[in-house]
Amino acid sequence: MTTAAQQFSHAAAAKATDLRHRAIIQKNIASYDIGVARGKDRFADWPNARSRAAAIKFETINHLDRYLEQFERNVLANGGHVHWAEDAEQARQIVLTLARQHGVRKVVKAKSMTTEEIHLNPALEAAGIQPVETDLGEYICQLRNEPPYHIVTPVMHLSKADVAELFHEKFGAALDAPAEELTMVARRQLRQDFLTADMGITGANFLIADTGMIALTTNEGNGRLSVSLPRIHVAIAGIEKLIPRLSDLGLFWPVLCTSGTGQALTSYSTLVGGPRRDGEVDGPAEFHVILLDNGRTKLLANPEMRDVLHCIRCGACLNTCPVYKTIGGHTYATTYQGPIGSVLTPRLRGAAEWSHLSFASSLCGSCTDVCPVRIDLHHHLLHNRRDAIASKFDHPLQRLAFKLWLWVVQSPARYAVAGKLARLGLRLGLGNSFAKPWTATRDLPAPPRQSFRDWWEKVGQASRLSDVKPPTGGTPVQHHP
Amino acid sequence: MNAARENILGRVRTALRVEAKAPAAPSAAPIFPPVTDLEARFREEFAVLKGEIITDLPAFLTAFPKIASAVPEVAGNSDVRQADLGVTGCDCLLARTGSIAVSTRNAGGRALSVLPPVHLVIARRDQLVPDLTAALALWQQRYDRHWPSNLSVITGASRTGDIEKILVMGAHGPKRLVLYFTD
Repeated sequence: MTTAAQQFSHAAAAKATDLRHRAIIQKNIASYDIGVARGKDRFADWPNARSRAAAIKFETINHLDRYLEQFERNVLANGGHVHWAEDAEQARQIVLTLARQHGVRKVVKAKSMTTEEIHLNPALEAAGIQPVETDLGEYICQLRNEPPYHIVTPVMHLSKADVAELFHEKFGAALDAPAEELTMVARRQLRQDFLTADMGITGANFLIADTGMIALTTNEGNGRLSVSLPRIHVAIAGIEKLIPRLSDLGLFWPVLCTSGTGQALTSYSTLVGGPRRDGEVDGPAEFHVILLDNGRTKLLANPEMRDVLHCIRCGACLNTCPVYKTIGGHTYATTYQGPIGSVLTPRLRGAAEWSHLSFASSLCGSCTDVCPVRIDLHHHLLHNRRDAIASKFDHPLQRLAFKLWLWVVQSPARYAVAGKLARLGLRLGLGNSFAKPWTATRDLPAPPRQSFRDWWEKVGQASRLSDVKPPTGGTPVQHHP
Repeated sequence: MNAARENILGRVRTALRVEAKAPAAPSAAPIFPPVTDLEARFREEFAVLKGEIITDLPAFLTAFPKIASAVPEVAGNSDVRQADLGVTGCDCLLARTGSIAVSTRNAGGRALSVLPPVHLVIARRDQLVPDLTAALALWQQRYDRHWPSNLSVITGASRTGDIEKILVMGAHGPKRLVLYFTD
């Protein structure tokens, strides 16, 4: 049996050298980058917008019990129902029970990472209920039977030709069909599903405590159709999705859209505040919200990492991450990819199996720089590493190596000897066997002829104030594509 | 699932007994630059979103045999599921983003503004507000304690960029968003 870490390592190596993958991702993210730069220009003070969002989220998360209860009260007052799920299994059972009670045979789903997290679709299928993903990207994922590649852009890894091939095979679309035609193929298919579905399932971008509403952000209109046509609407959301006031959306909607796609606002920023009311002509007869814990209270109990629960799932940290851009979303094999996924997954799903994600990072800090709610992501990767090592989830040989290293650097004499040995070893070519994963695609730099200490004793110290050039040693690293 | 409720709230309360370090307080400076000329800004943003503003309503309507309408200005003759044009009112128009705020009260329910392939909004110039914050405040003032079950800020017609970030209009909702000023 291979571990998640081994699978990750193999998949990462394959994707890192897959030039077609790289070209598609670069094209996609380049377009995102342009949009986001333009989007930030619409703000008078983007950094302050982030600070304000962070402050509101801090206030909410640190009084979460109060806001959860307020939200619940208001949903009930609006005629909706609130369910609480401690884990994925409880959440799935709540949905299945509702589906059974109402004789549901087909479900239309708006894009929701939380339903991915609880693996809802396989559970629905096993119960004889057909789930239909209606976001175009998610629909393509479902047809390909693969998980979303990105929390915001599910098929970022596919080219138009890939989608055309899929739609050719499934629906007889032309292989050279433009994006517009492909989208219309999906529109025609899914329109029938909207009109015949019994239940609409959505996530929630925000849960609004003071009005008991959920906020949905979509571009395609599939979210609005999912909550307009079916008889029952079920929304599934993590307990951290709360914001205190409706008026906070004046900040959070633009911040989410700017970081997510660069849009000032997406096409549809929608509020759902219950089932169809007396006097309204349509809408579901029942509205249910499922509040999901599934490990989130563990993060809450960790004051050092509590701000991870500020996350609004915009995807900005994925798009800026050099690791994500190199190894791609599927390599993570997690619901949430990129830096936020590497921080969350070991905490939500267990450090023993998932710690390798926290180590697969350059710690460049770009994720922290772009986060619209100022989560200290790269330090949290370090916190995960520290705790993984404290829990002895690291490799015993690695532990030994660090002990040896500590012993060496604690004595100048030992350090000098070790340096000499290392230079000798490198000259004899031993580096290639020690650093194989690195040297498989790169040359190790040639070792310098002398160490800095040697040079200092012979030249530097004597001419401390003159402009002696430091020794030139080694050659720059050569990359082989 | 009352046990789950108590368990989750219990864990939340236990967790919050330990305080976390608060982030630095944000400045009170405005987040967005001010919007001055509401109508000019709205027109500009709406055009960028590929929204259309028409001036000849009767001429426009002749292109649509099946109309579902929620406003007195336009006579409807079709069920929303068959309509090729959905006509609604709105709560307000947001200048900064070229958006249109609707609710079930003025949009004929939930489906009328999203199911037909073309959405026509009938509005007045005095419905222009500067931005989202003003629109949310207007909603709050108008509906507090009597909320419609569904409200939307519509910013351009339905679109997707899921395939190679190529912009395609009309993914699921209307392919065209059209506005007519009555004044």
